[in-house]
Amino acid sequence: MIELRELTKRYGDRVAVDGLSVRVQPGVVTGFLGPNGSGKSTTMRMILGLDAPDHGQALIGGVRYPDLSWPLKTVGALLDAGAFHPGRSARAHLAALAASNDIPGPRVEQVLRIVGLSDAATRRAGTYSLGMRQRLGVAVALLGDPGVLLLDEPVNGLDPEGIRWIRDLLRGLAAEGRTVFVSSHLIAEMALTADRLVVIGRGRLLVETTVAELAAGDDSLEDAFFRLTSQATDYRGVGAS
Amino acid sequence: MNGYGFRHAARMERIKLRSVRSTWWLAIAAVVSMAAAGAGVGLGYRSHTPVATAAQILNNSLGGAIVAQLLLGALGVLVVTGEYGTGMIRSTFAAVPRRRIVLAAKVAVCGGAALTVGLVASFAGYLSGQLAIRGTAIPAASLGDPAILRAVVLTGVYLGATALIGVGIGTIVRHSGAAIGTLFGLMFVPMIAAGLFGESGIAVGRFVPLLMLLNSIAVTSPIPGLFAGWISVLLMCGYAAVAILCGGVLLRYRDS
Ligand SMILES: Nc1ncnc2c1ncn2[C@@H]1O[C@H](COP(=O)(O)OP(=O)(O)OP(=O)(O)O)[C@@H](O)[C@H]1O
Ligand SMILES: [Mg+2]
Repeated sequence: MIELRELTKRYGDRVAVDGLSVRVQPGVVTGFLGPNGSGKSTTMRMILGLDAPDHGQALIGGVRYPDLSWPLKTVGALLDAGAFHPGRSARAHLAALAASNDIPGPRVEQVLRIVGLSDAATRRAGTYSLGMRQRLGVAVALLGDPGVLLLDEPVNGLDPEGIRWIRDLLRGLAAEGRTVFVSSHLIAEMALTADRLVVIGRGRLLVETTVAELAAGDDSLEDAFFRLTSQATDYRGVGAS
Repeated sequence: MNGYGFRHAARMERIKLRSVRSTWWLAIAAVVSMAAAGAGVGLGYRSHTPVATAAQILNNSLGGAIVAQLLLGALGVLVVTGEYGTGMIRSTFAAVPRRRIVLAAKVAVCGGAALTVGLVASFAGYLSGQLAIRGTAIPAASLGDPAILRAVVLTGVYLGATALIGVGIGTIVRHSGAAIGTLFGLMFVPMIAAGLFGESGIAVGRFVPLLMLLNSIAVTSPIPGLFAGWISVLLMCGYAAVAILCGGVLLRYRDS
């Protein structure tokens, strides 16, 4: 389980995450929704101890991330596609991370097979397409067979087959009793993947709900999302003509 | 069973260091540049009058260390900034959130590798210099001579220390270009500044890396006024320790 307690992060005088308190339960896929710049990635980075919160804390099974004994065996994370050195092969990247958490070598080949990168494993990761990078990120997340998964926009750049693969993978992992927390701005995709939804805007919790509840309203899921976030959207385009 | 530690982080860092090409290119370039400088010096002195002394050949044939120190310094910088520039650092800190363990592992692995490469490069400079003067009247410099052996070994250690200064600066600055620029600046600017003091410059100059290398470390006997070679090398290690400690303090408080 992931527990956020009044999590707050400021960059200069801009508040990126504002007193966010949420519990993410095991056994279901929890979607993390919000407009661009609403603080999803920042929240994920704070859960992983990469950014220090200005206030509040993030706990994983009651423990702060930096206090975990075997981080990769507890939490698997996919951050931005590109948290690797472009000059290093996928296999070496995974082998290095595996070594850091005492994960046995054969697991590297296993996750390469799961994400479908076995044939490209010796290539330098910098030569990968966006979708392949995303798959490498998923391989890293799965490496330690963790009970908690944290994925920041995993379907970004994936082809339709890949999107369905991620969806089935995440649902399968949740069905095994794991905690799965996935951010996205694709409400339609989340409706198919997630059971529960956490919606934020301008760093604040707007609503915690289930897909079923949201769908039960009289408007479409997309309209419901816009209704929820309309007061809390910073970056909005206009027509070009 | 009670969690990861330095040993695990060091295994990770070893795999990381070996699996990028730049490591190998920089290491090979460091050895080649010292070997080439040694051979060039030897060949240049072959028909030189008066006949060169053994000390002259040795001192000059280790001159390639000027280039090798920049290459190995860059290696040390890239071990850290290569991760910040690419986003790899997030994967690293997610795997090992106690960041100082990561830094310690980088210091041990990169320091060990750079020391090895530095010693190989230094011996390559010595050897190629000696090979290039074979068959001339110039006396050979034997490694059996403690002064000669000391100069060759200390030059290798100096090169290893330079890489560690690179690791420290890389941790502080985090940007490859800026960190390499800072390192090169710290190598050359103090030397030029010391030169401005003229005669009294030596009081400052004996603390300056490049001057220590050329006049105290990579020579059979230090120029008067400079520290003994081993003290100069200890000073270099001290600079590295200061840079790494500063990096370690900053590491704790900064977001990645
Ligand atoms: N390192 C940083 N320095 C300054 N501001 C930052 C930094 N990281 C994020 N921000 C700001 O914090 C806010 C939240 O950003 P964040 O990346 O968390 O949003 P997001 O919900 O992930 O957006 P998206 O859907 O576009 O990925 C934004 O206003 C962003 O500009
Ligand atoms: Mg984001």
